[in-house]
Amino acid sequence: MKKKIIVRLPKKIKKPLLKKATRLNLEETIRQQSDELISRSGQLKQGAVREKQGAAREKLGADREKLGADREKLGADREKIAEEQILIQTKAMESASDGIFIIDARRHNFLIIYANLSFQTITGYTKKEIIGQNYFLIYGPAADLRVIDEIKQTISRGESFHGEMLNFRKNGDKFWSLLRIAPVRDKKGNITHYVGIQTDTTLMKQRNFEIEEQREELLHVTRVGKLAEFVSSLAHEISQPLTAILSYAQAAQRMLKDREPQVQEILGYIVNDDQRAAEVIRRLRYLLKKTKPAFELLDINIIINDTVSLIMPQILAKGKIIKFELEKNLPLVNGDRIQLQQVILNLISNSLEAMEVDPGSHELIIRTTRKDNNTVMVQVKDTGCGIPEENMKKLFTHFFTSKPDGLGMGLSISRSIVEAHGGHLEAVNNPDRGATFYFSLPINMQNES
Amino acid sequence: MPANIYIVDDDESVCRALKTLLMTYDFEVKTFNSAQAFFDSVSNNEPGCLLLDIHMPGIDGWETQRRILDSGSKRHVIFISAEKKDDATARAIKVGAVGFLQKPVNGQSLVDLINLASKN
Repeated sequence: MKKKIIVRLPKKIKKPLLKKATRLNLEETIRQQSDELISRSGQLKQGAVREKQGAAREKLGADREKLGADREKLGADREKIAEEQILIQTKAMESASDGIFIIDARRHNFLIIYANLSFQTITGYTKKEIIGQNYFLIYGPAADLRVIDEIKQTISRGESFHGEMLNFRKNGDKFWSLLRIAPVRDKKGNITHYVGIQTDTTLMKQRNFEIEEQREELLHVTRVGKLAEFVSSLAHEISQPLTAILSYAQAAQRMLKDREPQVQEILGYIVNDDQRAAEVIRRLRYLLKKTKPAFELLDINIIINDTVSLIMPQILAKGKIIKFELEKNLPLVNGDRIQLQQVILNLISNSLEAMEVDPGSHELIIRTTRKDNNTVMVQVKDTGCGIPEENMKKLFTHFFTSKPDGLGMGLSISRSIVEAHGGHLEAVNNPDRGATFYFSLPINMQNES
Repeated sequence: MPANIYIVDDDESVCRALKTLLMTYDFEVKTFNSAQAFFDSVSNNEPGCLLLDIHMPGIDGWETQRRILDSGSKRHVIFISAEKKDDATARAIKVGAVGFLQKPVNGQSLVDLINLASKN
């Protein structure tokens, strides 16, 4: 860093003014002073650098301090967020309408270490009674031991259990529980806990049961209706030859008046048996006499919704979709609820059967519209195989069917029901594919103001 | 002078049997398988009692009676049907018919009703 400085005095002042020795001394002195000067200036420079360095160091220190504080703040924030998250999760678990519980898996007796509010509500036990209790004892002594055993085995293997079982509340009431239990593992993969969700499906089961009952009822009504209609048609068809037989026999009786007593006797038997057969039919007809339809004011859209919910399982099972295009605020119609349901059900199941053959056709549309001032219209439009032109005319006649196991009564009964309501039931093939069945119903005028 | 009887029933066997029976009572009987066939060959002012089936394809019994009434004809009509609704007789009389008989028809009851009609 330090440079060697050479000092030379000018020759002019060397010779005349100074002796050689003095000159040398002087030169030396100057050199020393310069050296000192230079070294001092160097020191001065170094001081400035040091000063700068010091300032930088100080800044670095401050920055570090700030970073530390920031880190601390970040840590605190993180902690706060984590706390909030735990709080939200706990709150969410407490608010869930399903019963949620956690079992300690490291002990052998399935101790419950957490149970949310719904779990308490569903089981009827208090938190105190639940926490620390063996989970399976909560089920009540009457619970199915085989199911309990299956649950224990499944979760002990580290698999999730999913199933439905009958449980008992604290007060002994039965309830259906849809149960899902899954293992919780630590970082090493060891099962530490089981987390379970249980849903009280009692109401759902009841509702399904009611739907099932309604469907059965409707099916029964339909069957009875079909039978009545069938018997009526049969009776009519049999009455014709019975009429002819009776008339022939009575004509022969008159022709043989006072002759051929043995033949007369036989003709008498024919007449009697003919009248006996006629009586059987009359009684049968009386037995199956349709009960008078119970007319009431109905919202056809509600009837459609109710009916579709009855047949929904079949629609889904066949992989079909049903679309609703129901006009809002339709005026009410005067009709028999069960009978109209029967018509709609019949049209939907026909459509489903028409679409069954072709997996590519799966859309069914139910549409209601106000046709004019006096009429509402219901359409059931499918994307099925359609109706061959030659069948169009026979479609609504008794005993006509295109199904191998059909009775040929559904559409004819449907038409007579619609006509009894003052409407019309018709069918038309769609321009693209499938067919549309549509019926009109007169609007209740007293209601319409 | 035996009265003319017209029978309109879509069942051919019923027509033939009733005709056979009524002929033993010395009636002149003509049968038709549809109301249209009857209108086509018998004019409304030709005398004779009509035995009219109710359930028929095409023009049914009630409609046939309405057309007869609308034409101003005074023809006596007796409805016959396999199905008997509670108010069938009342409804038959209300629309101007002589009466209603349920199939299978007893010969004597039928003839009694025909005779009653021709007396009026």
